[in-house]
Amino acid sequence: MQTTAPERAVGVGGAASLPGGGTSRPTRDRLSAIPFLTPGVALVGLLLLVPFVATVYQSLTRDNGFVSSFIGLENYGRLLRDPTFGQSLLNTLMWTIGTLILPVGIGLLVAVCTNSMPGGRWIRYAFVLPYALSGTATAVIWGFILRSDGALNQAIAFFGATPPASGWLLEWPTNTIVMILASTWQATGVTVILFMVGLQAVPPETVEAGSMDGASGLRLFWHIVLPQLRPVTIVVIGMSIANSLRVFDLIWLLTKGGPGAVSETLAVTMYRQTFIISDYGFGAAVAVVLSIIVVGASWVYLRQQLKRT
Amino acid sequence: MIGKGIRNTVVIGFALLWLIPIYLLIVNSLVPVGDYSGAPSWIPTRFGFFDNLAIAWNQSGLGAGMLNSLLYSTASAAIAVLAAGLAGFAVVVMPTRRPTLWFWLIYLGTLLPLQIFLAPLFKAYVATSLYDTNLGMILIYSAICVPFAFFIVRNYLTTLPPEITEAAKLDGAGWWRLFFRIHFPLIRSSLFAAFIFQFTWVWNDLLFGITLTTSPDRRPVMAALAEINGGFSSLGPPVVLAAAIAVSLPTIVLFLACQRFFVSSLRAVG
Repeated sequence: MQTTAPERAVGVGGAASLPGGGTSRPTRDRLSAIPFLTPGVALVGLLLLVPFVATVYQSLTRDNGFVSSFIGLENYGRLLRDPTFGQSLLNTLMWTIGTLILPVGIGLLVAVCTNSMPGGRWIRYAFVLPYALSGTATAVIWGFILRSDGALNQAIAFFGATPPASGWLLEWPTNTIVMILASTWQATGVTVILFMVGLQAVPPETVEAGSMDGASGLRLFWHIVLPQLRPVTIVVIGMSIANSLRVFDLIWLLTKGGPGAVSETLAVTMYRQTFIISDYGFGAAVAVVLSIIVVGASWVYLRQQLKRT
Repeated sequence: MIGKGIRNTVVIGFALLWLIPIYLLIVNSLVPVGDYSGAPSWIPTRFGFFDNLAIAWNQSGLGAGMLNSLLYSTASAAIAVLAAGLAGFAVVVMPTRRPTLWFWLIYLGTLLPLQIFLAPLFKAYVATSLYDTNLGMILIYSAICVPFAFFIVRNYLTTLPPEITEAAKLDGAGWWRLFFRIHFPLIRSSLFAAFIFQFTWVWNDLLFGITLTTSPDRRPVMAALAEINGGFSSLGPPVVLAAAIAVSLPTIVLFLACQRFFVSSLRAVG
């Protein structure tokens, strides 16, 4: 009997309070979700999903910003034949592999080593601090370091060696490698944080039991701790790869993707083709390829996420 | 014991290496720009930071950029978090039909790289006169921030026991009252975590800033910094570095003060 009062209050129409339920109350409830969903769905739908569909369609057109015509998959054919696209793809691959090894590896090393170290918290700050910087600020700092009259060459000369004549940003693959290092400097913080979260979830009893059995140091880490870090490692790897595929500001400020287009990644190629060259259709095709790669790379860690939710 | 010694040395060595760029940034931003010798300094001598900053602030539109970004970050993060809270509530608590479909519709926004949205947005903004306006920037930043905030809020809402809703419904509360009286206070800390995270994201964005604005009094701060960086030689490195510090301070302070919230947002991703 307690239920009748609230049901009357919720479903003002009399049918709502019938036991077994007419349809009116559930339907009303479903409709009442509309105002809750509208702001979020409208923002995402209008400003993200519609442009997404528009870009996919745009990639099937020839468009210089003024006239547009449907040409099917021709832009994708051009991509395959275009040597700068191949270079861009190669750089993107280098970024992905570099990110997989450096921020993830160093982050794991730092987290594991500082976890049980006195004052480890303070050491971690050295790595976490750059993570709070923007890609643009990171590029400004590294530009200052990597210029031909920059701090790195000065340090090299100070130690009596000869710095490379062409500098660090003018020749491939050096420019891509140093930019990956600059990005590692900025991005390692987040992997340290995530690995720390993972380590704190490792039950101390397991580690104790392991050391009772005589495991220590590397073996303890390899056989006891690392397997427990598996889920967080998958997330860190997935996130790092997805982020490295999206790097734009660092490259844009340090080399503009150049000289020529040798240090471009797909994220930069898309921007140049669209907004500098105004080849909208071709730029859109690059964006679509990039999206496929990003979603594909995210898939591994998405599966992990969705298992938990 | 020896192993431990080596381990500590390696980690401390890495940490020092990591601090060198920050150290160089600070030391060289202090050099009065007139005194800059053309080669980076490694030891601080005189203090010209505020004069350097004043040059960047006044001559290169850094001040306007900071104010614009303050507006964009605050407004967009607030709008996004509120929209995400409402949508999360609808998907988790209310008997919405096909919650998974709604989830993916909103969540898809964070999966895709930003580049896929750029060109159509640019064209649409030019066509609707949203290009180079405050409203246009707030709208796109809000939209970009909704999916991740939604993800955090939704994850948190699913951990609440359904009895809370049932009990409140028995007391005759409507959905709006239920949201603002019961759920909003409960998810406040996850909304705050999302707010901090998105505020930082908007503040740090360059891509939309250079694509959808052009005039200095609409341009967000990272676009202003990018332009200042373009004048590296003419303005002088100390001015550019001082500007880089100034634009980074708000997010660094926010990050260090709210580290707990950052970690909890990142945990929601993991």
